[in-house]
Amino acid sequence: MSAITASAPAPVRVSGVAAPARFVRDTALLTVRSLRAIPRVPERLLDVTIQPIVFILLFLYVFGSAIHVPGVSYKDYLFPGIIGQSLAFGIIGAGVATSHDMTEGVIDRFRSMPISRLSIISAQVMGQFCEQVLGLTIVVVFGLILGWDPHLTAPHAIELVALMFLGMLAFTWMGVLLGMLVRSPDAMQGVGFIVIFPLAFLAGTFVPIAGMDAVPRAIAQWDPISALVGTVRGLTEGFHSTGSWQLVHPELAMALWCLVIIAVCVPLALRRFNRTLAG
Amino acid sequence: MSQITAIETQGLTKRFGEFTAVADLDLRVDTGTVVSLLGPNGAGKTTTVRMLATLLRPDAGSARVAGYDVVREAAQVRALIALTGQFAALDKNLTASENLVLMARLRGRGRRDAAIVADRLIERFAIDEFRNRLVKKLSGGERRRVDLAAGLIDTPHVLVLDEPTTGLDPRSRQVVWSTIRSLVDDGVTLLLTTQYLEEADALADRVVLIDRGREVAAGTPAQLKTQVGAQRVDVIAADATEFARVSELLDGRFEVSRSAEQRTVSVAAPDEAEDLAAVAAVVARAGVQVDEIALRRPTLDDAFLALTGHVAHEDPRTESRFDESQPTEVAA
Repeated sequence: MSAITASAPAPVRVSGVAAPARFVRDTALLTVRSLRAIPRVPERLLDVTIQPIVFILLFLYVFGSAIHVPGVSYKDYLFPGIIGQSLAFGIIGAGVATSHDMTEGVIDRFRSMPISRLSIISAQVMGQFCEQVLGLTIVVVFGLILGWDPHLTAPHAIELVALMFLGMLAFTWMGVLLGMLVRSPDAMQGVGFIVIFPLAFLAGTFVPIAGMDAVPRAIAQWDPISALVGTVRGLTEGFHSTGSWQLVHPELAMALWCLVIIAVCVPLALRRFNRTLAG
Repeated sequence: MSQITAIETQGLTKRFGEFTAVADLDLRVDTGTVVSLLGPNGAGKTTTVRMLATLLRPDAGSARVAGYDVVREAAQVRALIALTGQFAALDKNLTASENLVLMARLRGRGRRDAAIVADRLIERFAIDEFRNRLVKKLSGGERRRVDLAAGLIDTPHVLVLDEPTTGLDPRSRQVVWSTIRSLVDDGVTLLLTTQYLEEADALADRVVLIDRGREVAAGTPAQLKTQVGAQRVDVIAADATEFARVSELLDGRFEVSRSAEQRTVSVAAPDEAEDLAAVAAVVARAGVQVDEIALRRPTLDDAFLALTGHVAHEDPRTESRFDESQPTEVAA
């Protein structure tokens, strides 16, 4: 018989590593775990790559000839819209993946282990964030191959990349929160189709907002994704819409939207996760 | 000095809406013993172990693991308990060996140390042959072995196995049993849930029979078996007419129970092979058409019938992963 029959329980292991260091290490281990799935389940990336590519081909070569935007070639008008749409669809991607991951048995194993529960959700966000970055990179490269010419100066390029990272971080948190709330990947697809899909279309993505009917125009003028699309368009083409404060100042509006989303979604996601855990 | 009880629950209760999954359960597992929680699907077994593993919060009553309260001292409990569920708690997109290394690292081992621990577990659980295969490509039995190994990175103070052999073929079940036996030989304190009387008998020191979240009987396997009775001879008739004939033929001569829908007459067989021969002789002389005559061990159903006077309640809502935060899944 081993020490297990001793009269006192094994002392609870308090690791020599301090709590914040453990949190960082556990998050890193769990993030690497989810990234390892990408080459093994490459179809996970299809969501964030195939869909934008289909839209590019459709609008560039099918509908595009019927759309005339004054002062800019349709190709250069379209790609910022596609980037905005890809980021928005990232919410659905992160949500579907999260609602799926949370039903995996391995999450139960992590929950019943002596590791920080915050690290489990941080790793989920980090993993999804990396998938979004990878997906967007593929879309951008595809656009450049097709002849998209972003007229970027170095400071604008830095600003654009920084704002895109902020946007992806905010949208990933939102997707992870929704993924935990909706309970099933199918339901998440449904929410995405009903809410995010229309907002992504209304955002001046494919056609100018100014030409829309009164009701969609009013929505589009305050659609957060409009600020996102406007940001990309402003930085790459120097092209600005008018009609609402956020369309005139898309960069500032987008940064504010992202900060608001993060400020709302992070605490809610953490609360939801802890409640899920405690039952 | 008093030995600290490995698991002790008092009045443990969990409800899901209207449905009471666990009702006022008092459970005690002494350190160094093996206790089996035996019951049908939906009896509250999984809900109970999930509360013990701090995955669900009890609605009433208390539960302590090695003296620590599962709600107020959850962190301590998590360091002492290892749960292996009926759903493999592994990352399907990692290999067997990568899973073990990951779990070891999450338990605070360094890179090299984690590899050593994983290698040791791979050898002990005979995982070597498929160590580099993705978990999603493993068979049920192989997966269960990796799962067991993953729960034993640090020798836990209490090991909880939730239906370790449900859904496995008989050969894999034997392998898992021998693995569990070797753990028991090492002195691990074990709480084991199962639907199989045979499994509880083979592995446990003490069996607690539960039904609809309540304890209905408890004792050593020997005590329960004495109450349940020995083996039985089942005669399965060829059709409904033959069933009526067999039924008439055997009733009176032996102590029987019948199931018309399964065309089965079941005869108590305290003398085992002799009873089998006697029943077969009667059936053969009368020339009744039967599909099968077989000696079998008493099942959970027999135990329930003998100990509670009614058959086990199969709740259609399998409790498998029944918690309010997750979609309900049905055991594969």
